[in-house]
Amino acid sequence: MEMIEKRERRQALLTKVIFIVLLLVIWEVTARAHIFGKRSEIVFPTLESIGKAFIRNFTFGYAGTSQWIYILNSMRFLLEGLCIGIGLAFILSGLSMVSKTIDTIFNLCVSIFDLLPGVALLPVVIVIFGVKPGVIVFLVVHAVLWPMSRNVLDGFKAVPEIYLEAGRNLGMKNTQLLFGVYIPAATTYIVSGLKVGWARAWRGLISAEMIFGIASSPGIGLFINQMRTNMNNAEMYATLIVIIIIGLIVQYGILNPIENATVKKWGMTK
Amino acid sequence: MSAILEIRGLTKAFLNTGKKDKTEVLNNLNLSVEPSEFLCILGPSGCGKTTMLRCVAGFESYEGDVLVNGKLETGPGTDRIMIFQDFNQLFPWKTVEKNIQYGLKLQGIKDKAELKRISDSALKKVKLDGYQNFYPYQLSGGMKQRVAIAKAFALKPSIILMDEPFAALDAMTRTKLQKELMQLHEQEDCTILFITHNILEAISLGTRIIVLQTGGDIVVDKKNPIPKPVTPDSPGYGPFWTELHNALYA
Repeated sequence: MEMIEKRERRQALLTKVIFIVLLLVIWEVTARAHIFGKRSEIVFPTLESIGKAFIRNFTFGYAGTSQWIYILNSMRFLLEGLCIGIGLAFILSGLSMVSKTIDTIFNLCVSIFDLLPGVALLPVVIVIFGVKPGVIVFLVVHAVLWPMSRNVLDGFKAVPEIYLEAGRNLGMKNTQLLFGVYIPAATTYIVSGLKVGWARAWRGLISAEMIFGIASSPGIGLFINQMRTNMNNAEMYATLIVIIIIGLIVQYGILNPIENATVKKWGMTK
Repeated sequence: MSAILEIRGLTKAFLNTGKKDKTEVLNNLNLSVEPSEFLCILGPSGCGKTTMLRCVAGFESYEGDVLVNGKLETGPGTDRIMIFQDFNQLFPWKTVEKNIQYGLKLQGIKDKAELKRISDSALKKVKLDGYQNFYPYQLSGGMKQRVAIAKAFALKPSIILMDEPFAALDAMTRTKLQKELMQLHEQEDCTILFITHNILEAISLGTRIIVLQTGGDIVVDKKNPIPKPVTPDSPGYGPFWTELHNALYA
Protein backbone atom coordinates (compact mmCIF):
# COMPACT_ATOMS: atom_id res chain seq x y z
CA MET A 1 0.00 0.00 0.00
CA GLU A 2 2.61 2.52 1.08
CA MET A 3 4.78 1.68 -1.91
CA ILE A 4 1.92 2.41 -4.31
CA GLU A 5 1.09 5.61 -2.48
CA LYS A 6 4.69 6.76 -2.67
CA ARG A 7 4.88 6.01 -6.38
CA GLU A 8 1.64 7.89 -7.03
CA ARG A 9 2.92 10.88 -5.12
CA ARG A 10 6.18 10.84 -7.06
CA GLN A 11 4.27 10.66 -10.34
CA ALA A 12 2.07 13.60 -9.35
CA LEU A 13 5.16 15.64 -8.48
CA LEU A 14 6.80 14.74 -11.77
CA THR A 15 3.67 15.81 -13.68
CA LYS A 16 3.72 19.17 -11.94
CA VAL A 17 7.40 19.76 -12.61
CA ILE A 18 7.11 18.81 -16.29
CA PHE A 19 4.10 21.11 -16.69
CA ILE A 20 5.91 24.09 -15.14
CA VAL A 21 9.10 23.50 -17.15
CA LEU A 22 6.99 23.28 -20.31
CA LEU A 23 5.29 26.60 -19.53
CA LEU A 24 8.66 28.26 -18.93
CA VAL A 25 10.04 26.90 -22.22
CA ILE A 26 7.02 28.22 -24.12
CA TRP A 27 7.47 31.59 -22.38
CA GLU A 28 11.15 31.76 -23.27
CA VAL A 29 10.58 30.77 -26.90
CA THR A 30 7.84 33.40 -27.19
CA ALA A 31 10.14 36.01 -25.64
CA ARG A 32 13.13 35.22 -27.86
CA ALA A 33 11.06 34.97 -31.06
CA HIS A 34 9.82 38.55 -30.68
CA ILE A 35 6.32 37.52 -31.72
CA PHE A 36 4.86 40.86 -30.62
CA GLY A 37 7.45 42.87 -32.52
CA LYS A 38 8.77 45.90 -30.67
CA ARG A 39 6.40 45.34 -27.75
CA SER A 40 7.72 41.81 -27.22
CA GLU A 41 10.38 42.83 -24.74
CA ILE A 42 7.73 44.57 -22.63
CA VAL A 43 4.97 41.97 -22.82
CA PHE A 44 7.25 38.94 -22.67
CA PRO A 45 10.55 39.79 -20.97
CA THR A 46 13.00 36.88 -21.08
CA LEU A 47 13.29 34.61 -18.07
CA GLU A 48 16.80 35.92 -17.55
CA SER A 49 15.65 39.53 -17.24
CA ILE A 50 12.79 38.51 -14.91
CA GLY A 51 15.30 36.62 -12.77
CA LYS A 52 17.61 39.62 -12.63
CA ALA A 53 14.65 41.87 -11.81
CA PHE A 54 13.67 39.49 -9.02
CA ILE A 55 17.07 39.95 -7.38
CA ARG A 56 17.17 43.67 -8.15
CA ASN A 57 13.80 44.15 -6.45
CA PHE A 58 15.30 42.94 -3.20
CA THR A 59 18.75 44.51 -3.46
CA PHE A 60 17.95 47.87 -5.04
CA GLY A 61 14.18 47.92 -4.85
CA TYR A 62 12.21 50.94 -5.98
CA ALA A 63 13.78 54.35 -5.39
CA GLY A 64 16.17 52.75 -2.95
CA THR A 65 13.53 50.98 -0.86
CA SER A 66 13.98 47.21 -0.94
CA GLN A 67 11.02 44.98 -1.74
CA TRP A 68 11.49 43.47 1.72
CA ILE A 69 10.09 46.66 3.23
CA TYR A 70 7.04 46.42 0.96
CA ILE A 71 6.52 42.77 1.83
CA LEU A 72 6.87 43.38 5.56
CA ASN A 73 4.37 46.24 5.42
CA SER A 74 1.85 44.09 3.58
CA MET A 75 2.37 41.22 6.00
CA ARG A 76 1.81 43.53 8.94
CA PHE A 77 -1.48 44.80 7.49
CA LEU A 78 -2.50 41.26 6.64
CA LEU A 79 -1.68 39.83 10.05
CA GLU A 80 -3.43 42.64 11.92
CA GLY A 81 -6.51 42.33 9.71
CA LEU A 82 -6.61 38.53 9.95
CA CYS A 83 -6.30 38.55 13.74
CA ILE A 84 -9.03 41.15 14.18
CA GLY A 85 -11.28 39.52 11.56
CA ILE A 86 -10.94 35.98 12.88
CA GLY A 87 -11.32 37.15 16.48
CA LEU A 88 -14.48 39.09 15.62
CA ALA A 89 -15.87 36.13 13.66
CA PHE A 90 -15.51 33.88 16.72
CA ILE A 91 -16.90 36.44 19.17
CA LEU A 92 -19.91 37.35 17.01
CA SER A 93 -20.66 33.73 16.07
CA GLY A 94 -20.38 32.74 19.72
CA LEU A 95 -22.81 35.49 20.72
CA SER A 96 -25.17 34.29 17.98
CA MET A 97 -25.34 30.92 19.67
CA VAL A 98 -26.39 32.59 22.93
CA SER A 99 -28.99 35.07 21.66
CA LYS A 100 -31.60 34.52 18.98
CA THR A 101 -31.76 38.27 18.25
CA ILE A 102 -28.02 38.57 17.69
CA ASP A 103 -28.16 35.43 15.54
CA THR A 104 -30.83 36.91 13.26
CA ILE A 105 -29.08 40.26 12.89
CA PHE A 106 -25.62 38.76 12.45
CA ASN A 107 -26.83 36.29 9.81
CA LEU A 108 -28.38 39.20 7.90
CA CYS A 109 -25.11 41.15 8.12
CA VAL A 110 -23.07 38.18 6.90
CA SER A 111 -25.43 37.64 3.95
CA ILE A 112 -25.26 41.31 2.93
CA PHE A 113 -21.59 42.10 3.52
CA ASP A 114 -20.22 38.82 2.20
CA LEU A 115 -21.41 39.90 -1.25
CA LEU A 116 -19.92 43.39 -1.00
CA PRO A 117 -16.42 43.55 -2.52
CA GLY A 118 -13.99 45.37 -0.23
CA VAL A 119 -12.71 47.62 -3.01
CA ALA A 120 -16.27 48.87 -3.55
CA LEU A 121 -16.21 50.08 0.05
CA LEU A 122 -12.88 51.82 -0.49
CA PRO A 123 -14.22 55.26 -1.60
CA VAL A 124 -16.61 55.38 1.36
CA VAL A 125 -13.92 54.36 3.81
CA ILE A 126 -11.47 56.95 2.44
CA VAL A 127 -14.09 59.70 2.65
CA ILE A 128 -14.75 58.83 6.29
CA PHE A 129 -11.31 57.92 7.60
CA GLY A 130 -8.92 59.47 5.10
CA VAL A 131 -5.90 57.71 3.60
CA LYS A 132 -4.31 55.86 6.52
CA PRO A 133 -2.78 52.40 7.02
CA GLY A 134 -5.83 51.60 9.13
CA VAL A 135 -7.96 51.72 6.00
CA ILE A 136 -6.11 48.76 4.50
CA VAL A 137 -6.44 46.83 7.75
CA PHE A 138 -10.15 47.67 7.70
CA LEU A 139 -10.47 46.16 4.21
CA VAL A 140 -8.61 43.01 5.25
CA VAL A 141 -10.96 42.65 8.23
CA HIS A 142 -13.92 43.11 5.88
CA ALA A 143 -12.52 40.47 3.52
CA VAL A 144 -11.97 37.84 6.20
CA LEU A 145 -14.77 38.51 8.72
CA TRP A 146 -17.79 37.50 6.65
CA PRO A 147 -16.66 34.26 5.00
CA MET A 148 -15.05 33.20 8.30
CA SER A 149 -18.26 33.98 10.20
CA ARG A 150 -20.37 32.11 7.69
CA ASN A 151 -18.23 29.02 8.22
CA VAL A 152 -18.06 29.30 12.00
CA LEU A 153 -21.84 29.82 12.21
CA ASP A 154 -22.54 26.86 9.92
CA GLY A 155 -20.01 24.81 11.86
CA PHE A 156 -21.60 25.60 15.22
CA LYS A 157 -25.04 24.73 13.88
CA ALA A 158 -23.78 21.42 12.48
CA VAL A 159 -22.36 20.21 15.82
CA PRO A 160 -24.06 16.84 16.46
CA GLU A 161 -26.53 16.97 19.34
CA ILE A 162 -24.87 13.93 20.91
CA TYR A 163 -21.60 15.82 21.57
CA LEU A 164 -23.53 18.61 23.26
CA GLU A 165 -25.47 16.16 25.40
CA ALA A 166 -22.30 14.28 26.28
CA GLY A 167 -20.77 17.62 27.26
CA ARG A 168 -23.76 18.71 29.33
CA ASN A 169 -23.75 15.29 30.98
CA LEU A 170 -20.20 16.04 32.16
CA GLY A 171 -21.50 19.25 33.70
CA MET A 172 -20.35 21.65 30.98
CA LYS A 173 -22.15 24.97 30.56
CA ASN A 174 -22.01 28.05 28.27
CA THR A 175 -18.35 29.03 27.70
CA GLN A 176 -17.14 25.55 28.63
CA LEU A 177 -19.43 24.13 25.96
CA LEU A 178 -18.27 26.81 23.48
CA PHE A 179 -14.56 26.06 23.93
CA GLY A 180 -14.87 22.40 24.88
CA VAL A 181 -17.41 21.20 22.33
CA TYR A 182 -18.62 23.76 19.78
CA ILE A 183 -15.20 24.95 18.60
CA PRO A 184 -13.41 21.58 18.37
CA ALA A 185 -16.48 19.90 16.84
CA ALA A 186 -16.67 22.66 14.19
CA THR A 187 -12.97 22.53 13.32
CA THR A 188 -13.61 21.19 9.81
CA TYR A 189 -15.71 24.26 9.08
CA ILE A 190 -13.30 26.59 10.86
CA VAL A 191 -10.31 25.35 8.84
CA SER A 192 -12.17 25.77 5.55
CA GLY A 193 -13.22 29.22 6.76
CA LEU A 194 -9.57 30.05 7.38
CA LYS A 195 -8.68 28.98 3.85
CA VAL A 196 -11.40 31.08 2.23
CA GLY A 197 -10.82 33.97 4.62
CA TRP A 198 -7.07 34.10 4.06
CA ALA A 199 -7.48 33.95 0.26
CA ARG A 200 -10.02 36.78 0.29
CA ALA A 201 -7.87 38.84 2.64
CA TRP A 202 -4.75 38.41 0.49
CA ARG A 203 -6.59 39.46 -2.66
CA GLY A 204 -8.32 42.35 -0.90
CA LEU A 205 -5.01 43.55 0.46
CA ILE A 206 -3.24 43.58 -2.90
CA SER A 207 -6.18 45.35 -4.60
CA ALA A 208 -6.44 47.99 -1.91
CA GLU A 209 -2.72 48.68 -2.04
CA MET A 210 -2.82 48.95 -5.83
CA ILE A 211 -5.65 51.44 -5.79
CA PHE A 212 -4.14 53.67 -3.19
CA GLY A 213 -0.67 53.04 -1.88
CA ILE A 214 0.30 54.70 1.37
CA ALA A 215 3.68 56.36 0.93
CA SER A 216 4.50 56.12 4.65
CA SER A 217 4.02 52.35 4.71
CA PRO A 218 4.03 51.05 1.12
CA GLY A 219 2.93 47.48 0.48
CA ILE A 220 3.56 44.87 -2.19
CA GLY A 221 0.45 45.91 -4.15
CA LEU A 222 1.80 49.44 -4.41
CA PHE A 223 5.14 48.06 -5.57
CA ILE A 224 3.61 46.17 -8.47
CA ASN A 225 1.62 49.24 -9.46
CA GLN A 226 4.73 51.43 -9.37
CA MET A 227 6.47 48.95 -11.67
CA ARG A 228 3.54 49.12 -14.06
CA THR A 229 3.52 52.93 -14.19
CA ASN A 230 7.27 52.92 -14.82
CA MET A 231 6.99 50.20 -17.49
CA ASN A 232 9.39 48.01 -15.50
CA ASN A 233 7.63 44.92 -16.73
CA ALA A 234 10.30 42.39 -15.77
CA GLU A 235 10.10 43.75 -12.20
CA MET A 236 6.32 43.49 -12.37
CA TYR A 237 6.46 39.81 -13.31
CA ALA A 238 9.08 39.21 -10.63
CA THR A 239 6.73 40.75 -8.05
CA LEU A 240 3.91 38.49 -9.27
CA ILE A 241 6.17 35.54 -8.52
CA VAL A 242 6.81 36.92 -5.03
CA ILE A 243 3.05 37.20 -4.46
CA ILE A 244 2.58 33.60 -5.57
CA ILE A 245 5.44 32.42 -3.33
CA ILE A 246 3.93 34.15 -0.30
CA GLY A 247 0.60 32.45 -1.05
CA LEU A 248 2.30 29.06 -1.27
CA ILE A 249 4.17 29.61 1.99
CA VAL A 250 0.92 30.41 3.80
CA GLN A 251 -0.86 27.44 2.22
CA TYR A 252 1.85 24.83 2.80
CA GLY A 253 3.62 26.39 5.78
CA ILE A 254 0.65 27.43 7.89
CA LEU A 255 -2.76 26.20 6.68
CA ASN A 256 -1.83 22.63 5.78
CA PRO A 257 0.00 22.01 9.09
CA ILE A 258 -3.05 23.35 10.96
CA GLU A 259 -5.24 20.93 9.02
CA ASN A 260 -2.87 18.02 9.61
CA ALA A 261 -2.65 18.71 13.33
CA THR A 262 -6.42 18.87 13.79
CA VAL A 263 -9.13 17.48 11.53
CA LYS A 264 -6.84 15.05 9.68
CA LYS A 265 -5.32 13.77 12.92
CA TRP A 266 -8.79 13.31 14.42
CA GLY A 267 -10.13 11.46 11.37
CA MET A 268 -12.79 14.11 10.79
CA THR A 269 -11.69 14.53 7.18
CA LYS A 270 -9.56 12.58 4.72
CA MET B 1 -32.92 0.58 52.17
CA SER B 2 -33.72 3.99 50.68
CA ALA B 3 -34.10 4.33 46.95
CA ILE B 4 -31.18 5.68 44.90
CA LEU B 5 -33.59 6.88 42.22
CA GLU B 6 -37.13 8.01 42.78
CA ILE B 7 -39.35 9.07 39.87
CA ARG B 8 -42.63 10.66 40.92
CA GLY B 9 -45.47 11.56 38.58
CA LEU B 10 -43.20 11.92 35.56
CA THR B 11 -45.22 13.39 32.69
CA LYS B 12 -43.76 14.46 29.37
CA ALA B 13 -45.52 15.73 26.27
CA PHE B 14 -43.99 16.79 22.95
CA LEU B 15 -45.55 19.61 20.94
CA ASN B 16 -46.52 18.37 17.52
CA THR B 17 -44.77 20.46 14.91
CA GLY B 18 -47.08 22.83 13.06
CA LYS B 19 -50.02 21.90 15.25
CA LYS B 20 -51.24 23.16 18.56
CA ASP B 21 -51.91 19.79 20.16
CA LYS B 22 -49.44 17.69 22.11
CA THR B 23 -48.50 14.05 22.15
CA GLU B 24 -48.16 12.69 25.65
CA VAL B 25 -45.28 10.25 25.78
CA LEU B 26 -45.17 9.67 29.52
CA ASN B 27 -48.20 9.97 31.75
CA ASN B 28 -47.70 9.99 35.51
CA LEU B 29 -44.86 7.46 35.65
CA ASN B 30 -43.76 6.38 39.12
CA LEU B 31 -40.65 4.29 39.66
CA SER B 32 -38.29 3.61 42.51
CA VAL B 33 -34.86 2.01 42.02
CA GLU B 34 -32.77 0.51 44.83
CA PRO B 35 -28.98 0.93 45.05
CA SER B 36 -26.96 -1.67 43.08
CA GLU B 37 -29.97 -2.69 41.05
CA PHE B 38 -29.47 -3.53 37.37
CA LEU B 39 -32.83 -2.46 36.01
CA CYS B 40 -33.62 -3.55 32.47
CA ILE B 41 -36.38 -1.66 30.71
CA LEU B 42 -38.23 -3.44 27.92
CA GLY B 43 -40.91 -1.87 25.77
CA PRO B 44 -42.11 -1.45 22.20
CA SER B 45 -40.88 1.48 20.09
CA GLY B 46 -42.56 4.73 21.08
CA CYS B 47 -43.52 3.61 24.60
CA GLY B 48 -41.38 6.34 26.14
CA LYS B 49 -38.37 4.31 27.36
CA THR B 50 -35.80 6.66 25.89
CA THR B 51 -37.78 9.73 26.93
CA MET B 52 -37.86 8.45 30.49
CA LEU B 53 -34.09 7.91 30.50
CA ARG B 54 -33.50 11.36 28.98
CA CYS B 55 -35.68 12.95 31.65
CA VAL B 56 -33.68 11.19 34.36
CA ALA B 57 -30.46 12.38 32.68
CA GLY B 58 -31.79 15.93 32.71
CA PHE B 59 -31.77 16.43 28.93
CA GLU B 60 -35.52 17.12 28.74
CA SER B 61 -37.96 19.38 30.53
CA TYR B 62 -40.80 17.51 32.25
CA GLU B 63 -43.51 17.61 34.88
CA GLY B 64 -43.00 15.59 38.03
CA ASP B 65 -39.97 14.94 40.20
CA VAL B 66 -36.76 13.01 39.71
CA LEU B 67 -34.81 12.41 42.93
CA VAL B 68 -31.35 10.90 43.11
CA ASN B 69 -30.23 9.92 46.62
CA GLY B 70 -33.21 11.89 47.88
CA LYS B 71 -32.06 15.08 46.14
CA LEU B 72 -34.30 16.75 43.55
CA GLU B 73 -32.58 16.91 40.16
CA THR B 74 -33.04 19.94 37.89
CA GLY B 75 -30.49 19.41 35.09
CA PRO B 76 -27.76 17.14 33.74
CA GLY B 77 -24.98 16.11 36.08
CA THR B 78 -22.17 13.61 36.55
CA ASP B 79 -24.15 11.65 39.14
CA ARG B 80 -26.14 10.28 36.20
CA ILE B 81 -24.02 9.33 33.19
CA MET B 82 -25.70 8.45 29.92
CA ILE B 83 -24.31 5.90 27.49
CA PHE B 84 -25.92 6.26 24.08
CA GLN B 85 -26.52 3.73 21.32
CA ASP B 86 -24.65 5.94 18.86
CA PHE B 87 -21.00 4.89 18.50
CA ASN B 88 -20.06 8.53 17.94
CA GLN B 89 -20.58 9.63 21.52
CA LEU B 90 -16.86 10.07 22.18
CA PHE B 91 -15.24 13.39 21.29
CA PRO B 92 -13.31 12.65 18.06
CA TRP B 93 -10.77 15.40 18.83
CA LYS B 94 -9.60 13.69 22.01
CA THR B 95 -7.69 10.45 22.42
CA VAL B 96 -9.30 7.52 24.23
CA GLU B 97 -7.41 8.44 27.39
CA LYS B 98 -8.30 12.14 27.20
CA ASN B 99 -11.96 11.27 26.57
CA ILE B 100 -12.01 9.39 29.86
CA GLN B 101 -10.05 12.04 31.75
CA TYR B 102 -12.10 14.99 30.49
CA GLY B 103 -15.04 14.52 32.82
CA LEU B 104 -12.68 13.90 35.75
CA LYS B 105 -10.84 17.13 34.98
CA LEU B 106 -14.15 19.00 34.97
CA GLN B 107 -14.82 17.50 38.38
CA GLY B 108 -11.66 19.21 39.59
CA ILE B 109 -9.04 16.43 39.49
CA LYS B 110 -5.91 18.26 38.32
CA ASP B 111 -3.13 15.84 39.25
CA LYS B 112 -1.87 14.26 36.01
CA ALA B 113 -0.62 11.06 37.64
CA GLU B 114 -3.97 10.60 39.37
CA LEU B 115 -5.86 11.16 36.08
CA LYS B 116 -3.59 8.69 34.33
CA ARG B 117 -4.08 6.12 37.08
CA ILE B 118 -7.89 6.38 36.88
CA SER B 119 -8.07 6.23 33.08
CA ASP B 120 -5.59 3.34 32.89
CA SER B 121 -7.53 1.29 35.40
CA ALA B 122 -10.84 2.11 33.66
CA LEU B 123 -9.41 0.98 30.32
CA LYS B 124 -8.05 -2.21 31.87
CA LYS B 125 -11.54 -3.02 33.17
CA VAL B 126 -12.99 -2.88 29.65
CA LYS B 127 -9.99 -4.77 28.20
CA LEU B 128 -8.68 -1.83 26.19
CA ASP B 129 -5.31 -1.44 27.88
CA GLY B 130 -2.82 -0.18 25.29
CA TYR B 131 -5.35 1.92 23.39
CA GLN B 132 -4.75 5.04 25.51
CA ASN B 133 -3.46 7.20 22.66
CA PHE B 134 -5.81 6.03 19.91
CA TYR B 135 -8.32 8.45 18.45
CA PRO B 136 -11.96 7.30 18.34
CA TYR B 137 -11.97 6.99 14.53
CA GLN B 138 -9.29 4.31 14.84
CA LEU B 139 -11.57 2.08 16.94
CA SER B 140 -14.34 -0.35 15.98
CA GLY B 141 -17.93 0.19 17.13
CA GLY B 142 -17.58 -2.28 19.99
CA MET B 143 -14.36 -0.67 21.18
CA LYS B 144 -15.96 2.77 21.13
CA GLN B 145 -18.81 1.50 23.32
CA ARG B 146 -16.23 -0.01 25.67
CA VAL B 147 -14.52 3.37 25.98
CA ALA B 148 -17.91 4.99 26.65
CA ILE B 149 -18.50 2.44 29.42
CA ALA B 150 -15.00 3.02 30.85
CA LYS B 151 -15.62 6.77 30.74
CA ALA B 152 -18.89 6.37 32.63
CA PHE B 153 -17.50 4.07 35.34
CA ALA B 154 -14.40 6.26 35.84
CA LEU B 155 -16.67 9.11 36.92
CA LYS B 156 -18.19 6.92 39.66
CA PRO B 157 -21.76 8.13 39.08
CA SER B 158 -24.68 7.10 41.28
CA ILE B 159 -26.54 5.82 38.25
CA ILE B 160 -25.46 4.78 34.77
CA LEU B 161 -28.14 5.24 32.12
CA MET B 162 -27.76 3.01 29.08
CA ASP B 163 -29.95 3.49 26.02
CA GLU B 164 -29.58 0.31 23.97
CA PRO B 165 -25.78 0.64 23.96
CA PHE B 166 -25.22 -2.73 22.27
CA ALA B 167 -28.10 -2.65 19.77
CA ALA B 168 -25.91 -1.77 16.79
CA LEU B 169 -23.26 -4.42 17.53
CA ASP B 170 -22.87 -7.86 15.99
CA ALA B 171 -24.17 -10.77 18.09
CA MET B 172 -20.75 -12.01 19.26
CA THR B 173 -19.41 -8.61 20.30
CA ARG B 174 -22.71 -7.97 21.98
CA THR B 175 -22.51 -11.12 24.10
CA LYS B 176 -18.91 -10.30 25.09
CA LEU B 177 -19.82 -6.78 26.13
CA GLN B 178 -22.83 -8.02 28.10
CA LYS B 179 -20.55 -10.30 30.09
CA GLU B 180 -18.07 -7.52 30.77
CA LEU B 181 -20.81 -5.12 31.80
CA MET B 182 -22.18 -7.67 34.26
CA GLN B 183 -18.73 -8.18 35.80
CA LEU B 184 -18.30 -4.41 36.08
CA HIS B 185 -21.68 -4.09 37.75
CA GLU B 186 -20.67 -6.66 40.35
CA GLN B 187 -17.22 -5.16 40.99
CA GLU B 188 -18.14 -1.48 40.99
CA ASP B 189 -21.33 -1.55 43.01
CA CYS B 190 -23.31 0.87 40.87
CA THR B 191 -26.90 1.21 39.77
CA ILE B 192 -27.71 0.73 36.09
CA LEU B 193 -30.81 1.57 34.07
CA PHE B 194 -30.58 -0.33 30.81
CA ILE B 195 -33.00 0.01 27.89
CA THR B 196 -33.29 -2.86 25.44
CA HIS B 197 -35.67 -4.41 22.93
CA ASN B 198 -34.11 -7.81 23.45
CA ILE B 199 -35.79 -10.09 26.02
CA LEU B 200 -32.75 -12.40 26.26
CA GLU B 201 -30.51 -9.41 26.93
CA ALA B 202 -32.86 -8.17 29.65
CA ILE B 203 -32.97 -11.57 31.39
CA SER B 204 -29.20 -12.07 31.04
CA LEU B 205 -28.27 -8.72 32.52
CA GLY B 206 -31.04 -7.44 34.75
CA THR B 207 -31.57 -8.03 38.44
CA ARG B 208 -34.98 -6.46 37.93
CA ILE B 209 -36.98 -6.09 34.74
CA ILE B 210 -39.82 -3.74 33.87
CA VAL B 211 -41.95 -3.65 30.73
CA LEU B 212 -43.33 -0.30 29.58
CA GLN B 213 -46.31 0.15 27.31
CA THR B 214 -47.58 3.26 25.52
CA GLY B 215 -47.66 6.31 27.77
CA GLY B 216 -44.94 4.90 30.00
CA ASP B 217 -47.37 2.50 31.63
CA ILE B 218 -45.42 -0.09 33.69
CA VAL B 219 -47.17 -3.40 32.97
CA VAL B 220 -44.54 -5.74 34.42
CA ASP B 221 -42.17 -5.02 37.31
CA LYS B 222 -40.33 -8.09 38.59
CA LYS B 223 -37.11 -9.16 40.24
CA ASN B 224 -35.25 -11.42 37.83
CA PRO B 225 -35.63 -14.94 39.27
CA ILE B 226 -33.10 -16.61 36.92
CA PRO B 227 -29.65 -17.15 38.50
CA LYS B 228 -26.63 -15.83 36.58
CA PRO B 229 -25.10 -16.74 34.20
CA VAL B 230 -28.32 -17.02 32.22
CA THR B 231 -28.69 -19.47 29.33
CA PRO B 232 -31.87 -20.70 27.63
CA ASP B 233 -31.29 -23.86 29.72
CA SER B 234 -31.53 -22.02 33.05
CA PRO B 235 -34.44 -23.24 35.16
CA GLY B 236 -37.43 -20.96 34.82
CA TYR B 237 -36.06 -19.23 31.73
CA GLY B 238 -38.87 -20.40 29.41
CA PRO B 239 -41.85 -19.25 31.49
CA PHE B 240 -40.19 -15.92 32.35
CA TRP B 241 -39.37 -15.29 28.69
CA THR B 242 -42.98 -16.08 27.74
CA GLU B 243 -44.32 -13.74 30.41
CA LEU B 244 -42.15 -10.86 29.23
CA HIS B 245 -42.86 -11.64 25.59
CA ASN B 246 -46.60 -11.60 26.15
CA ALA B 247 -46.42 -8.33 28.08
CA LEU B 248 -44.25 -6.81 25.37
CA TYR B 249 -46.41 -7.87 22.41
CA ALA B 250 -49.76 -7.36 24.14
